[in-house]
Amino acid sequence: MTQLIFFNVLNGLIVGAFYALMALGLSLILNLSGVINFAHGGFLALGAYLAYTLMPYTGFWGALIVAPILTAFVGLAVERVMIRPLYGRDPLYGLLLTFGLAYIFEDVTRLIWGAQSVPFQVPGWLTTPLSNQFFFLTGYRVFMILIVAVAVGGLFFVLTYSRLGMRIRAGTRDLDTVSTLGVNVRVLRSLNFGIGIYIAGLAGVLAAGLLGLSPTIGSMLIMPSFVAIIVGGLGSLLGTLLGGLLIGLASGLTAVFFPSATEAVIYVMMGLVLLVRPRGLLGEEGRVH
Amino acid sequence: MSVTSSRGGVGRRGLLKAGFVVGAAQLASPFVLRARAADSIKIGLDNPLTGTYAAPGKNELVGCQLAIEQINAKGGILGRNVELIVEDSTSGDAGTAVQKARKLIDGDKVDFLLGNVNSALALAMAQVSNEKKILHVVPGGHTDAVTGASCHWNVFRVCNTTQMEAAAVASTLVKAYGKKWYYITPDYAYGHTLESGLVKAGAALGGARAGGDLTPLGTVDFSSYLINAQSANPDVILFLTQGDDMVNALKQAVQFGLDKKLHLAGAQQELEALEGLPPEARIGTWVMEWYWKRPGVPHVDEFVDIIKKRTGRVPTARTWFGFVSVWTCALAAAKAKSLDAVAMAKALQGLELPPEIGLMPNAPFYRAGQNQLIGDLYVGNAQASGDAPDDLFKVTDIVKGVDIASSVEESGCKMTWPA
Repeated sequence: MTQLIFFNVLNGLIVGAFYALMALGLSLILNLSGVINFAHGGFLALGAYLAYTLMPYTGFWGALIVAPILTAFVGLAVERVMIRPLYGRDPLYGLLLTFGLAYIFEDVTRLIWGAQSVPFQVPGWLTTPLSNQFFFLTGYRVFMILIVAVAVGGLFFVLTYSRLGMRIRAGTRDLDTVSTLGVNVRVLRSLNFGIGIYIAGLAGVLAAGLLGLSPTIGSMLIMPSFVAIIVGGLGSLLGTLLGGLLIGLASGLTAVFFPSATEAVIYVMMGLVLLVRPRGLLGEEGRVH
Repeated sequence: MSVTSSRGGVGRRGLLKAGFVVGAAQLASPFVLRARAADSIKIGLDNPLTGTYAAPGKNELVGCQLAIEQINAKGGILGRNVELIVEDSTSGDAGTAVQKARKLIDGDKVDFLLGNVNSALALAMAQVSNEKKILHVVPGGHTDAVTGASCHWNVFRVCNTTQMEAAAVASTLVKAYGKKWYYITPDYAYGHTLESGLVKAGAALGGARAGGDLTPLGTVDFSSYLINAQSANPDVILFLTQGDDMVNALKQAVQFGLDKKLHLAGAQQELEALEGLPPEARIGTWVMEWYWKRPGVPHVDEFVDIIKKRTGRVPTARTWFGFVSVWTCALAAAKAKSLDAVAMAKALQGLELPPEIGLMPNAPFYRAGQNQLIGDLYVGNAQASGDAPDDLFKVTDIVKGVDIASSVEESGCKMTWPA
């Protein structure tokens, strides 16, 4: 029993790290642009399918590099054409737009690549367990954790030390002042959106290696990301990371005692956080309007 | 019409205008269709086109469309042209499925109702069709109740019951792989009855339930369930999940190397799921309800060729379900010489499908008093690759449904006909 709990805790943290990766992109966009991007899952699926299409030509590694970049370009186009006109309006506009976009993305994916799952294959040596006892620690999952660590580390580095990062952080707090100081806010928002969608694309390619790749992959994975942000706290990327890990952990522990509630438990957790600490665990006061 | 605002981007007004035009176009089109097809016979298909069951739903649609064309080419139903009206029921929302069923019956005035892939949705739709006294064929929702405890005189089912699938595979599993089984079961009607069917069939052969987890429909991460399964140390892990869930579960199990430690199997497997898996994960012992590669069975090759020409792929059991469902409507009307639902339902009692529709070694028939189609079941193993690109299943045993189906009394079906 102890071993079962230990295994599920460890496994929960791995799954949680992946939730956190998805949630990071979402959180970035929400923080700076105030857009609740419901289409994030659609971008995730797009990244995965682009990788699937590219793989015969570029191999898995090439696809892992190229597909998220292509996804980010699509994201930039969507931001420019559809989302930019909604900045400064009630967040409901953005929410409704991206909600509709999520459906469009899913249906377009279905139209192009078919309703059926497609076989997405990662290099064989990655998908074998590293040890007989810890059979759930496959090379691929460890590699995924490394990517999450690099992405989170890179993001923190950029946000903390680069000029762009400082502007994004400043913009998150007070976009008007940043704009008055001569920063091109449009470009800033576009770049920020692009980075967020890049992370979604990356998460999509990684997810496709782990799970089946079907048009619903985005809508199935998007909800835990929202929960991770709410639990971790709006406005805090560290909070998002923590939120992802916590819901993974809760889901893993529930699997030991009450397996049919692994999905429900993350929403219970979200409800509790909203009741006790509405701004989330590490969220800033006043971010929720 | 331009949707560009003076600022160069898309303005709200532009978007609204575009949305209005799209909305108006959708409203307008049914009238055009209705005017053209005033005297045609209508079959309403209320089945998933989106969500986790979109792939099986679309394949059933392909089968339905082929049958419609064949029927119309042979003069239609009672000399009238047949038209298929399709609605997306979603994969799991019973409210939507029921609303669409009512729309088809009350709004489109369909003569027949078809659906659903999801057992729970099929049961919900059956209540509506029974209330409205419309002949209803369930192509591919497997839970026993549809032709068991919740059976209705007007509801017929093409796919097998979960009890039949369980009974077909149980003896092979016990003989070849061992008696301790762990269940990964989707948490809704279909999963529950399939598991209880397997527990019963296994127990009759000396098997035991080593444990099991109920998984929510649409689960993506199965790792924690697989950890639970491995720690229970079973001989066989049975995957009772369907659609995308089956792909997710099997792919992860193989990545964890569980296929090398114990046997992975299940009751119902579908070509759609096998095609979505990487070759190394196409493993295990399963039941297929229909399989395209059946040398020597009359008309199967023709059927395969036609579907291949249309879709580029071979037909699956789902294609066959849809095909048989529409043909069932035509056969019922032809035998009853009427569109009266009661007369047609009576005509279907015990009706045997002709070979060009049955497409099985032993002719499938609708069992009287239960409205369940009883055909053959194909037990075998998934394979990474076969003689042809889509040949992903090796049939080892053909089980006659009539030998394993529980009796009408055991099924719990007590049918009451309208006075």
